[in-house]
Amino acid sequence: MVCSLVEHKRREDKGERMKKTSIVLLSAVALFALNGCGDAPKSSSEAKTYAKTAGEVYTQSCYKCHGDKAQGLTEKKTPPMNDRQAGELELDLYDVKNEGLTMSSGTEHDKMAHNMKKLLEKGYDYDPKAMAVYIEKNFYKMPPKEAPAAH
Amino acid sequence: MLKEGMDLIDAHFKNEGVSRRDAMKMFGAGGAAMLMGSGVATEATAGSSAVKAKILIIGGGLAGMSTAALFTNSLDNPDITVLEPGSSATSYQPGQTLVGAGIWDADAVEYKTDDFVPSGVTLIKEKAVEFDPENNTVKTSGGKTLKYDYMVIAAGLKLDYARIQGLGIEGTITSRGDDSAVRKVIGKNGITSIYFGNGATDTWTEMQKFIADAKSGKKVKGIFTHPNTPIKCGGAPKKIMYLTDARLREAGARDNAELTFYPNGSKMFGVKEYHDAIVNQFEARDMKWNYRHNLIGVDPVKKVATFNRHWKEKGPWDADLEEYSIVMKAETVEKEFDFLHITPPMKAAEEIANSPVGSAKGWVPVKKETLQHVKYPNVYALGDIAAVPMGKTGGSARKQYKVVAENIISMMNGKEPTAQYGGYTVCPLITSIGTVMLAEFDWSKKPTPSFPLDPTQERWIWWLLKVYALKPMTQYGMLSGRA
Repeated sequence: MVCSLVEHKRREDKGERMKKTSIVLLSAVALFALNGCGDAPKSSSEAKTYAKTAGEVYTQSCYKCHGDKAQGLTEKKTPPMNDRQAGELELDLYDVKNEGLTMSSGTEHDKMAHNMKKLLEKGYDYDPKAMAVYIEKNFYKMPPKEAPAAH
Repeated sequence: MLKEGMDLIDAHFKNEGVSRRDAMKMFGAGGAAMLMGSGVATEATAGSSAVKAKILIIGGGLAGMSTAALFTNSLDNPDITVLEPGSSATSYQPGQTLVGAGIWDADAVEYKTDDFVPSGVTLIKEKAVEFDPENNTVKTSGGKTLKYDYMVIAAGLKLDYARIQGLGIEGTITSRGDDSAVRKVIGKNGITSIYFGNGATDTWTEMQKFIADAKSGKKVKGIFTHPNTPIKCGGAPKKIMYLTDARLREAGARDNAELTFYPNGSKMFGVKEYHDAIVNQFEARDMKWNYRHNLIGVDPVKKVATFNRHWKEKGPWDADLEEYSIVMKAETVEKEFDFLHITPPMKAAEEIANSPVGSAKGWVPVKKETLQHVKYPNVYALGDIAAVPMGKTGGSARKQYKVVAENIISMMNGKEPTAQYGGYTVCPLITSIGTVMLAEFDWSKKPTPSFPLDPTQERWIWWLLKVYALKPMTQYGMLSGRA
């Protein structure tokens, strides 16, 4: 209802513009405050489908540089991915795929972000959440508990 | 204080020949009181709320206090404790950009924590220093041990100016509270930062000197930085630059000033549509930019900023990747300035980062949809300290606090936490005095406009929204758990 009001008011003559803007503003605020008709839609990433499962992508591509246990390979200078749980790992994968998490901060994964683009072109696309869950489920190693204090 | 917000809005309507009575007629509601969202969404919707549980909230800023208010509204027997040492933690931080450009006075954004504690909530003016999530306890700076059934971490973040060499700053500060370590050098000699309260006030003082210099005929240089860490309000580093541009134009002195944005990253915005819009806006204003520059040092006497400039070069063939690898290159570059706006590196407080509820990067690791901790199911986090992509804004917190409250109430009732945060955030990007681009987006990285208007356009009505409406919405709608 309020949305259509906005549209309608835009068509009014210019002499009334100031007044109308107030109305639009109030409508806007009402919408914002009440989470009305234009509420943010569900993330469209949910709807995206992937040709390969996270497991297929890992066992066909990732393992070559990150190791068959996600342990990281010294000769490839790749970091381990088996030391974090899915919730934490997902943030890194998100950073890699999007070249950063906030606006102009950039990414701390410059190299991998570059490689990722190439891998996406080769068809190794994946959902960061699914990949994080796959890696945790198959490779996660609990960090060792602190050693008991020496006597 | 409510009156102040109402008066602002009413004054605006009066200017435009609309009386509050007319507004009431149009909407069947009381003028600006609509902002209160009264009668709407005052309770989380997770069924019976008569169950009792001890809820501990770490941090009483916008995220923490709004969550406390929503619990208070929703539970029959609330037992809520908020740990917050700061006396003005509920200040309106989004207004600091406007203070920095002389549009608002400093006291327009200053709000006392005590005035926003929901009735029945216990406020302890101490901070959490030790976390023992295995035993559901937290130790406070005053030596208390607090036990909880559910804990909500909403502790905000720290501004790490100390990481920039040459300023002689040690330790971190928060956006409110004791800023003496930083203010002794930032807010003087053309070096500014709107990210802390007094810093915003000083920014306007320094900006006026900069503009006066330009007006006197001197050729001047302004530099605006964006660090290599996640930051709160990702738009602010640009907003203060747009406003500097606007103030220079107003003074008829724009031609004498060169303004350059130096971000660590290599784009203006994560959402392509907004990135493109911003590039166009920069070009139209002759505002320059130089990607991949991270501020690492400042010489406050010589007025030189030092950056780590980094770039990629083609490396050897990588047989595993079936591509040429890349190698990272970096060099140190120095830039002279007359006016410098620093957006500092930001991080989680050490006592949380290094605790069992923290993570290697410091931020509290949560499942990004439910905001539940990845290891401890009765611990939740939201706001600046939560490790979720993008959302360190009040707009994100406005969506998150309802998710957290709803999920905890579900768990109290023996149900699964099913409320989900979709990554929504909003950046009212101020592009001049009188225009704002309302950049709304989520994890889909697509614009998600709340209104049927092209979201990449700068509009006067979003300026009105930013300058007149968002503050009362936040301070009286959100902090009371209603909007």
